[in-house]
Amino acid sequence: MNQALPTEQQLLEALAQGSRKATESIYRQHHKIIIGWIVQNGGDAVDAEDIFQEAMVILYEKAQDDGFRLSCKIGTYLFAICKHLWYKKLKKNQRTLLSGDEHYEKAYEDDIVAHEERELHYDQLDQALEKIGEPCRSLLKAYYQQDRSMQEIASDFGYTNADNAKTQKYKCLNRLRKLFYES
Amino acid sequence: MTQENNIWEVAEKYVAGTLSTTALNSLHQRLQQDAAYSTLFHEHLNLIQSLENNKKQKQFRTLLQSIKTVQTPTSKKIRTIPLSTHYWRTAGIAAGIAIITTLSTFWMIRHNENQRASQYTMLRKELENIKRSQSAIINNINESKTNAPTIAASVSGTGVALSNNGYFITNYHVVEGSDSVYMQNAAGEYFKANLIAFDKNSDVALLKVDDKKFKFSKTDLPYNFASGKNNIGATVFTLGFPDNEVVYNEGYISAKNGFDGDSMQYLLNIPSKSGHSGAPVINKAGSIIGLIAANNTEATTTTYAVSSSAIYNLIKDLPVQIKLPKNSQLKNLDRSQQVEKLQAFTCSVKVFKH
Repeated sequence: MNQALPTEQQLLEALAQGSRKATESIYRQHHKIIIGWIVQNGGDAVDAEDIFQEAMVILYEKAQDDGFRLSCKIGTYLFAICKHLWYKKLKKNQRTLLSGDEHYEKAYEDDIVAHEERELHYDQLDQALEKIGEPCRSLLKAYYQQDRSMQEIASDFGYTNADNAKTQKYKCLNRLRKLFYES
Repeated sequence: MTQENNIWEVAEKYVAGTLSTTALNSLHQRLQQDAAYSTLFHEHLNLIQSLENNKKQKQFRTLLQSIKTVQTPTSKKIRTIPLSTHYWRTAGIAAGIAIITTLSTFWMIRHNENQRASQYTMLRKELENIKRSQSAIINNINESKTNAPTIAASVSGTGVALSNNGYFITNYHVVEGSDSVYMQNAAGEYFKANLIAFDKNSDVALLKVDDKKFKFSKTDLPYNFASGKNNIGATVFTLGFPDNEVVYNEGYISAKNGFDGDSMQYLLNIPSKSGHSGAPVINKAGSIIGLIAANNTEATTTTYAVSSSAIYNLIKDLPVQIKLPKNSQLKNLDRSQQVEKLQAFTCSVKVFKH
């Protein structure tokens, strides 16, 4: 109870580590007001949740950089990102906002562009994983999506030991590399 | 194949940060010397980093989803509140409600009383802090032989003569609560005046200059007072003293009833500001139809004027008979001539309070 509240920088560091407590704290603090704003500006609840989640992911990705320092409050950053994402979405649907606020259409443009490129890259990676064929698809998914250890994978896939499974994994990575870079 | 596997292993360890210092050093050395190896290694490294980061991001998204679905679990926890805290909280809430109730009741009562104040701004001018007028008064002391006041006035308004021998009229709210009243004529001379009669409801006050020999002008009153209401649309003008100088404004009658449907008032569209209270409103024919009393807080050209019938009502039951002129001599004059003749009969009213 007497624990001092974590500073915003500490929160961000914990967020980067994927700490549930830090994430939840940031989420709860800003969720309501941002959702309210989007709904007020013509979005429905689903739109609003999507935008907010995307902004949280952007913040998370930003926090991954070791030298990352936020020049403003977390809430300000999240709100600006959400506004920007929402304006973008409206523009895509050829709708405009009644209370046009040009300023937010440009806020943190670099972060959003980087995020979009990253998402595209991840999409391509996921698609390549789907095309790779068995057993590689399952093996790589088990390791890189389900967070299984090599030991578990060895027993699941019937390899005699973890080292054999590892060798198989490297083979699969080679295939993936060829698919990904040569397609 | 073993070399390929080796690259994956090094890249994996590099990402995880588990390479030994010597291994890391030899890697850096090789990356610098062997360009082909460097390209190959970075390809492997990028793929592993992408896979790892993609994994982390997916985990984070899952975390967000679980936070979203578990709505406010903390508030559902059972909390125990110490008795003392509980007591104070209850007492606090009770006290809060009591205060709010008291204040809102008080406010409602006050609000009813001051209903006018919300939109209705009386146009007397508060002068307490205006040094300029103080020095003006001091100058006037030096210039005039009349018994001018020695302190600054608190409130100022405008007055208009009812008779040449010193009776003049203004708004009651101008002189309300006064200790002494002085009128300053068009020539800038001060004369002490006494309150003779007033009607708080219609907001008119009758005053008389103390000096028995006082005369507004050598001639008699050139205007009369309208006995009934003028029609809407009639053009009107005013002469008032918002500052130390007489100011002319013109406008028209917007409605026959004033603020909140007050039948003793007109609604005018004419500019007005503080200091205009009591300023005569004159129609084209040179009859005074009323006195400016207030304006609307939200629009300064929306002005309320007390109708001249309020003046008739005030003077009809007085022990002294004040005979108002029957006809106006301003009828056939042009506006600037009308104003010129009127000026001698309008005055600034300076009110002094403790």
